[in-house]
Amino acid sequence: MSYEGVIEQSAAGLKELVESGEEIIGYIYPHVPLELFMAHGFTPSLIRALPGASSGYEESLQTFACAYIRNLYSQRANGQFLTLSGLLFPANTCDSLQNLSDIWRVRFHDDKVLRLTYPVTRYSQDESTTKFLAEEIRLLSEKLSRDYNRPFLAESYESAIDLVQEFRKGTQFLYSARVVNPRIISYSEVVRLVRTFLSIPTMSSISDIREAVSTVQVAADELGLLDSIESVRHAILSGDYSGVRLPEELETPRIVIAGGMVEPQAIAALMHEIPNFSESTLVLDNLSFGFKVVFTIPPSKADDPFMAMAKSVLSAPGEPTHEGLSYRMGVMKGLLKNLSIQGLIVCEQSFCDPDQFEAPSIEKAACELDVKSIRMPLDPEFSDRGRIETRIQSFLETLG
Amino acid sequence: MTQERASEEKPYRRLETQSLLQQIAFRHGLEAMEASENGNLAWVTSGFPVEIPIAMNLGVVYPEQAGAIVGAQKIGPEVCGYAEDLGYSQDLCSYARASIGSTEKPEKVPMGSLPTPQILLACNNICGTVLRWYDAISEMTGAPVFLLDTPPLEKVQLPHNQEYVRRGVERLIEFIGSHFNRTLEEERIREVAELSSRATKLWIRALEACKNKPSPLNCADRFLTMAPVVSSRGTEHCAEFYESFVEEVEDRVRNGIGAIRDEKIRLLWDNIPPWHTLKFFNILASRGVVFPADTYTHAWTGNMVGTDTSSIIDEVVGVYSKVYLNMGLDAKVDKMCQLIEDYDLDGFVMFSVRSCKRYSLGQLVSKELVTERTGVPGVVIEGDMVDSRVYNAAQIETRVDALLEMLM
Repeated sequence: MSYEGVIEQSAAGLKELVESGEEIIGYIYPHVPLELFMAHGFTPSLIRALPGASSGYEESLQTFACAYIRNLYSQRANGQFLTLSGLLFPANTCDSLQNLSDIWRVRFHDDKVLRLTYPVTRYSQDESTTKFLAEEIRLLSEKLSRDYNRPFLAESYESAIDLVQEFRKGTQFLYSARVVNPRIISYSEVVRLVRTFLSIPTMSSISDIREAVSTVQVAADELGLLDSIESVRHAILSGDYSGVRLPEELETPRIVIAGGMVEPQAIAALMHEIPNFSESTLVLDNLSFGFKVVFTIPPSKADDPFMAMAKSVLSAPGEPTHEGLSYRMGVMKGLLKNLSIQGLIVCEQSFCDPDQFEAPSIEKAACELDVKSIRMPLDPEFSDRGRIETRIQSFLETLG
Repeated sequence: MTQERASEEKPYRRLETQSLLQQIAFRHGLEAMEASENGNLAWVTSGFPVEIPIAMNLGVVYPEQAGAIVGAQKIGPEVCGYAEDLGYSQDLCSYARASIGSTEKPEKVPMGSLPTPQILLACNNICGTVLRWYDAISEMTGAPVFLLDTPPLEKVQLPHNQEYVRRGVERLIEFIGSHFNRTLEEERIREVAELSSRATKLWIRALEACKNKPSPLNCADRFLTMAPVVSSRGTEHCAEFYESFVEEVEDRVRNGIGAIRDEKIRLLWDNIPPWHTLKFFNILASRGVVFPADTYTHAWTGNMVGTDTSSIIDEVVGVYSKVYLNMGLDAKVDKMCQLIEDYDLDGFVMFSVRSCKRYSLGQLVSKELVTERTGVPGVVIEGDMVDSRVYNAAQIETRVDALLEMLM
């Protein structure tokens, strides 16, 4: 299915949900406690940047606002947003999103704007960080109860943990399976499944994931790869790659896509257009809407729900919006080295401070391991698509 | 706009105390070099609670101030270019690029490169960029980064926010203590807090003197004389400088002497100035335009009143969390409206700084809100604080002319 087709399908799915009486809370930053919204009876839906929303922002945002927020604002200004019960903005993640929520409140005052403030000191090993986020989530929960008259239901919370965990376990397996054998399932299909769930987190989305997992499991079993896949999954979750066991004969070249809030499906669609490009070359992404959401640890049912959700959110690996460049580069090197990667494409959202600050360090980390890399400034509209495709094609040719 | 006149009858008056600034800057530079050589130098962001490292006997320098110096020397494009050569995008903060560039090639930036740091202390109350910038410097110099995380506030600081920031300040004291094997002495922090408070109160007095007509200070005066309160608050010589400064400012008020010779229009300035083109203010002075207030220099007005370590830490938590840029759009609009009312201003100029997103995104909206609430017109001009490559003088002139036509 084409990228545009997938967008249409997920928009239609959401519309159907709204028409059936579901209340949707949209969110922009991918690391949100999905379980919280479900516990209050809402359907959380990740808002995506759309290729066709390149103007409409000009009344409120300067041209140097990051391409992602310009796109979101344009969608809303052009009436491309579905009716949402609320829209959750992150605070303290980056300056652009921080300011966008204030602008949104003024410009679209009928919209219910919610805010969740994140601690930046993610790697400080300090309990105060988790406590801060837990209290933020608790306050958000109170607001949802108060403003919508929808209380937090323990039973719904526990079901939500199961649902989200099934999504994560399934997609972690698929991601890991592709690292071991990228031909076992296409990258486009994996990220389509991830995206569908994040847009419409329902049992129907889970059914598709279950089906894909089952098919890949059978294939992997036949090829004797199940242990290897589990070793990769465990390594990524723990950050310790010493136990990774990859098959001896790996198809090369193997490349990784790194970056922040870039849409994995858009990347997959872009790569598809490149002549002589095989999707099996692309082994893994390190993107916020893909890898980083998938490899998040679930909340523990034994803990206080707010502390548990805070711990879960903070376990998402490697966001450039948080403290710890040296930590992130250490993880990146571990991944490149131990997963036998030869090439790295570093995507940068235009005018995105976190992406653009981190890119030189990622390049340096890759260079230290003799992994070839290329930087790719992007915007959601792919306004320079021809040039981007040519650059990627040339890069792939250098990998042989 | 007409060009700045070169003769003696310049439309603006130079402050006598400006000559003291050079002495302070020279002294500050020497002390920083000595601190670095002795393994005691911290680089700090401008919104950092500097009272703590100073009380723990560290030397401090401010890369943002060094960036302003790079801008003022008109070498911004060249120095930022060194950072761009390393892969840092031209879209990124030009203070950060100037800092990274001058760290990469200090020999090319004699006035604007800083001595090697032993630690890097960042507080994100002014923007989220500082952490990423200091991470980059850490990668280059090997100096560790400490981040004091002050999550943005909406109206008030909630208890969990206070508790989190308080723990951050305690961790800061532990970090400096373990890194340099020293403790925070109560007597010393009280002394530093008192000196900081003395300097800040004097600075506020000077700012408030500009409510008078004619205004004793123009924007460029304040941008230059803010340097010590940014870089040396908490020291004796900083407080002494502001005593002399306030004396001169209040003397001007007593004698009806304005910062410009013929004050006709009073405007508000929003954002960091174009350091490379401070003459912008002098050119406007020749048309009778003065800027008695601005949002930038009013940012250093948080006052410490604590009397012991615990209460001083509480003060740090409150004062440094509630800085202008950490409070959201409503607070910015409130502040601008308040300044317009208090200083009896006729209009405002918003400088949209391309590389400063925290300060600049939202200006198009706040411009409308401020005009709606105060009834005074404003204009948005675009450029950059350090990087003059994105400063289009002709376009800015046209926009400012349009504003002045409305006011004349």
